[in-house]
Amino acid sequence: MSTDIKLTRRGFIVKSISVLSTVYFIPDLFAPAQAAKPLHEEVKSDTKWAMSIDVDKCASGCTACVDACVEENGLYGFDRPETDSQWIRKLTIKDIKTDKVKVVPMLCQHCENPPCCDVCPTGASFRRVDGIVMVNQHTCIGCRYCMMACPFKARSFVHENLTEQVTTAPRGKGCVESCNFCVNRIDHGIPTTACEEACMKEGHKAISFGDLSDPNSRVNKALKIKQNRRLRADLSLKQRVTYSNI
Amino acid sequence: MYQLAIRLLLVIVFIISPDIYSHDGINHSIKGKSKADDAAQCVEPTELMQKEHFVFLYHQRDKTVINGVRTKNHSFANCIDCHVSYDEVGEPIPINSEGQFCQTCHVQTAVNIDCFSCHASVPRGRKPEAHISLNYNHLEDQVSQEIEKLVSYVEGVK
Amino acid sequence: MEKIIFRKFQIESKTFWMMFFGLGFFILVGYLCSHYMETEGHYVTGMNNQIVWGLPHIFAVLLIVIASGVLNIASISSVFDKKLYKPLAPLSALLAMAFLISGLAILVLDLGRPDRLIVAMTTYNFKSIFAWNIFLYSGFAGILAIYIWTMLDRNVKKFSRPAGVFAFTWRIVLTTGTGSIFGFLISREAYGTAILAPLFIIMSLLYGTVVYFLIVKAINYFQKTLFSEEILQNLRKLTLLFLFANLYFLILYHVTNLYISKHLDFEKFILLDGGIYTIAFWVGQVVIGLLLPLFILFRDENKSESSLMSATLLILVGSFLAMYVIIIAGQAYPLKIFTNYEILESSFYDNVIHTYIPTIWELGLGLGGVALSLIIVLIGIANLDFLPTIIKSPEAKKVAESDS
Repeated sequence: MSTDIKLTRRGFIVKSISVLSTVYFIPDLFAPAQAAKPLHEEVKSDTKWAMSIDVDKCASGCTACVDACVEENGLYGFDRPETDSQWIRKLTIKDIKTDKVKVVPMLCQHCENPPCCDVCPTGASFRRVDGIVMVNQHTCIGCRYCMMACPFKARSFVHENLTEQVTTAPRGKGCVESCNFCVNRIDHGIPTTACEEACMKEGHKAISFGDLSDPNSRVNKALKIKQNRRLRADLSLKQRVTYSNI
Repeated sequence: MYQLAIRLLLVIVFIISPDIYSHDGINHSIKGKSKADDAAQCVEPTELMQKEHFVFLYHQRDKTVINGVRTKNHSFANCIDCHVSYDEVGEPIPINSEGQFCQTCHVQTAVNIDCFSCHASVPRGRKPEAHISLNYNHLEDQVSQEIEKLVSYVEGVK
Repeated sequence: MEKIIFRKFQIESKTFWMMFFGLGFFILVGYLCSHYMETEGHYVTGMNNQIVWGLPHIFAVLLIVIASGVLNIASISSVFDKKLYKPLAPLSALLAMAFLISGLAILVLDLGRPDRLIVAMTTYNFKSIFAWNIFLYSGFAGILAIYIWTMLDRNVKKFSRPAGVFAFTWRIVLTTGTGSIFGFLISREAYGTAILAPLFIIMSLLYGTVVYFLIVKAINYFQKTLFSEEILQNLRKLTLLFLFANLYFLILYHVTNLYISKHLDFEKFILLDGGIYTIAFWVGQVVIGLLLPLFILFRDENKSESSLMSATLLILVGSFLAMYVIIIAGQAYPLKIFTNYEILESSFYDNVIHTYIPTIWELGLGLGGVALSLIIVLIGIANLDFLPTIIKSPEAKKVAESDS
């Protein structure tokens, strides 16, 4: 065995930690490829999509997630803020006791017991077996009862004729819509939502998305590191979107 | 009774008047060129597609929305992708505009479709199957920084 | 000897057509308004992502509540077997049908996709109270049709009582259902309490009774129909009773809310510092709709018809404002998404009391709906024998012949 190459102590530590870190990151890099379901298969209930949002990492003034959502889903408005759709929005909130100010992204919380689906007369609001709460716009009659029922104001009604929809996100006048965890991406094996991707690219990493049943998923890691909470826990809706540091 | 018959006749004449039923039997020429023009056959035999395309679409529609099935053959997005025509400068022409693939037949048969009040009438935005890689560069940078710190700490202790 | 017979509406042809086209005009305008809203999209209305249900829903819910309430008269006659009210029952059922149909018409025409009505009628989610209401409403219309038939056709008269009892039961369930549309909304502090269902029932009884009175008075302007002093006094007593009951349930609703600490802020908003909503509640719902009519009915010792009429008009104004408070104010109060945080900024109006300014299109649709109910009544009474008339016996035969 050649001993020409000297292995310094420093080199050894750097290399070994690098190797360890790869082991730590590899599941993340390759997990998507394993988790992706073939296009012809139906979604299964053993996939549990979820999102964890670390409020402390969410930066004030940053709207990367909102912008990414607008671009991904073609949510171009008409400069009428009262009627334009918002699938994800940023809120500035203040702690009543400590006066500490924080910013949080609000989106559909993808409840396991969604009130919107309970009240929908036609069943157009439905919860896909993998946990995504979405609107079947082919059967939505536009009664807006789900908007009355949602505790998070997560839904929007399309108030006007649209022409610039993108192929991957059909949407149109007279129907209700909301965040669907970028369902088109997920079904095509891209296991990240536009907002998470944008937040990562910004370097904030406040949003972690993934499959709860995959122990190596980003969301599970985030859940392990910090205790997460559900908003309006008194309603027992079991949301799949949870928040930490709030 | 006689008057009623006359009125009924008038209504019928009005309805079948050439203004309303104007298809002259000549094939409409479709402006532009689509991918489908070069294909030998559609995803199913042409005659079947002409008669039953909506059955496939309806079937796939529920499978897609409710069960997340995204196979390409009967996918609406795929139909448009293949059948949409492009003009001389390579811009796609909305498939539901006059003289285009969907509209030509649907005008002739007087079947109104409202697919395109929600669906994009040209391929627009990200390709469904486009590969999106999460950018981990900054993570790797962070990791190596942490490692550097750790190493210098270890060195320092020594 | 006197005899009660049922007659058609005796009205001059010219007056009939004038009323017909007058109402028809409003219906046409209402339809055009809804068509405009449908083709342009709802941004032309005052409704938005914050106030999702607006003026059309106030009209629709009010009409449906009245529909269930006007059946009261028929219920008293058939369920409680009061002979006095028997002659008034068919008209009561006709009114119920008319108001139900027009209320539903408004609801449907305000949908984002009214063209998908067939979807609403064929695809049901049985967990939704809304879906149950679709059944309840259409079932009610069917039952009313049968009930009217049993009352007007001598051959099936014997089924009139069971049909009446069934209709009575059904409409109690129906109003419970209407109240539950709001009662089942857990997320909003104004709603989410079961008391809304009995409150709606009692409101329907009150509004139905006074609307019945108003319409009979309007018909009596043209034609002397049976409306004895005894019936009048009974209606007066009923109105008083329902006013008290309504006041009781309203107090109960707000006191309950005051005890639910989660709802305390909303109660403060409605009762104290909600601006226009507080005014609508105190001035509209409470004073105009309940206290003033009570006062008028109590003060008038002669028990005259005019005092009942002024009370009726006040109650109807109050009913509209009561619906405004329940439907609009309930949405205007922002959702409490965080328990320990106050929302400072939001692009989606999460931190403001929403305002709602209805546009002409919504008003047109609402008035069109009211006109639709009146035109149904007009056509009904002009073509079928709904109106009880007292005549002397020898004349009876003559009148019957001239009518046919």
